[in-house]
Amino acid sequence: MNIAVRSGPPPIEVRGLRKLFWQATSGQAVVAIDRLDLTIAPREVVAIVGQTGCGKSTFFDMMIGLEPPTEGTLHIGDKSPHADFDYFRGKIATVFQQDRLLPWRSALDNVKLPLELIGMHEEEQHIRALTWLNRLGLGNFVNAYPHELSGGMRQRVAIARAFVVQPDILLADEAFGHLDEVTAAELRETFLALARECGSTAILITHQLEEAIGVGDRVVVFGKSAKLLADIRVAAWPKEKYAVLREAIQFTLQNNQADPRLL
Amino acid sequence: MTILNDELREPVRNFTFPRHTLVSLLIFAAFWEVLSHLAPVLGIPPFAIPSLLKIGRSIVTITPIDIVVTLARVIGALLASFVLGLAMAMAMYRSETLEKYLHPIVRLFMAVPVVSWILFAVLWFPGVEFRIGFVLVVVCGPVFLIDTLDAMRSVPRELRHMIKSFRPTTLQFFVKLMLPAIVPTIFTSWKVNISLAIRVVTIAELVGAVTGIGHQLSVAQELFSVADVFAWTIVLVALLFMMEAIVARVETRLLRWRA
Repeated sequence: MNIAVRSGPPPIEVRGLRKLFWQATSGQAVVAIDRLDLTIAPREVVAIVGQTGCGKSTFFDMMIGLEPPTEGTLHIGDKSPHADFDYFRGKIATVFQQDRLLPWRSALDNVKLPLELIGMHEEEQHIRALTWLNRLGLGNFVNAYPHELSGGMRQRVAIARAFVVQPDILLADEAFGHLDEVTAAELRETFLALARECGSTAILITHQLEEAIGVGDRVVVFGKSAKLLADIRVAAWPKEKYAVLREAIQFTLQNNQADPRLL
Repeated sequence: MTILNDELREPVRNFTFPRHTLVSLLIFAAFWEVLSHLAPVLGIPPFAIPSLLKIGRSIVTITPIDIVVTLARVIGALLASFVLGLAMAMAMYRSETLEKYLHPIVRLFMAVPVVSWILFAVLWFPGVEFRIGFVLVVVCGPVFLIDTLDAMRSVPRELRHMIKSFRPTTLQFFVKLMLPAIVPTIFTSWKVNISLAIRVVTIAELVGAVTGIGHQLSVAQELFSVADVFAWTIVLVALLFMMEAIVARVETRLLRWRA
């Protein structure tokens, strides 16, 4: 099956985005995201890095549409993933840190899940899911249950589950961080190649700088409360200067302000 | 890693000869037989511990229609309780407000003794079948409700989050995630409720029915036929084991995905 590249996913526009949470015990507000402005062009691959608790995961949840903004806007095209929740069915797909496969479903049935949710014809579901499992090298394991697969294989199934709907937007939250380096590198490469082939916009959230620099067209550095500390176009940096770039991002994260080398 | 196809998987073992169960039952039967012969020596009235032969004779005279009636009552009420309990659990899972209002009532219902429900049923409803059905549903329904609601709340947040990210409808959320995730609990709940229903239906039939095993037990008691009481009790126990075995069989089949 050939992957149909569509006219192009819509751009992502984040303006003055704010997200507050109220602590149940103290009743105090915690600012998870504080007036974030960010634009992501169609088909861009953007890596978001930041320290633990900087609001990356909240941003991820807001991109999925599970959390509404407290203030500001997050639009994909002219629609909000939260307010227009149903509109984005089959248009946004996610890969999580853990594979999050349904243990009672075989690999094939796990990959079919998003297709079932969009109401695709059963025969078409089967063909598509099988195609994606084959593409991810799991053709011999279609009937295996998750507990019968290794961690890397399970994550491959999760990637197939995300790509099977050929989404406009792909979100990956620390998707390769728990795997060994060889498997992670291999899967990262596969993920990127497929994202580019599908023509999807991909946003990868990670705390690994190597990964961020290696995969992203852009690396966006979040400080506390998702304050945008740096927005780096990786292509502008020659490969031999990646070590300097990594150092500069490290400095930015540690000091919660942009390293002058990134400006 | 080996290639995994359904054909290559180790087949589920369908039947294991219950050697230990059989041996322990035979020992118990032998002990009983000896006791029935020693009863007069021990100062126990002979009719109180009938011999296996007498019990066997009573079993042969048992009327199958009463077994069918009791079984139908139990299965019908369990199905109704399950559907009602599951539907209410889903509604309570969806609405925190509804849960806050209904939970105390459910707990209250669970605290009421079975005998009180039977008396209420006799006082409130004229129809025998409705009375029995009411008592069974009011006793078993809350067990299904609480078990399934707790199980729904225990579904890992990560899985709920994952499926929500694919934007299911409310119905899809329950059908694709919640119901399959709580299947193991549903089976446990069925096993508990089968045993409960068999006991409750016997008491309900004993008090207010003219058919069924409970009624036959009442007749046997009026006739001082201890052998008949034992025979009907054996039938009840056998029914319980049979139903539990069927549920266990279905459970093994449906939960074969478990490691």
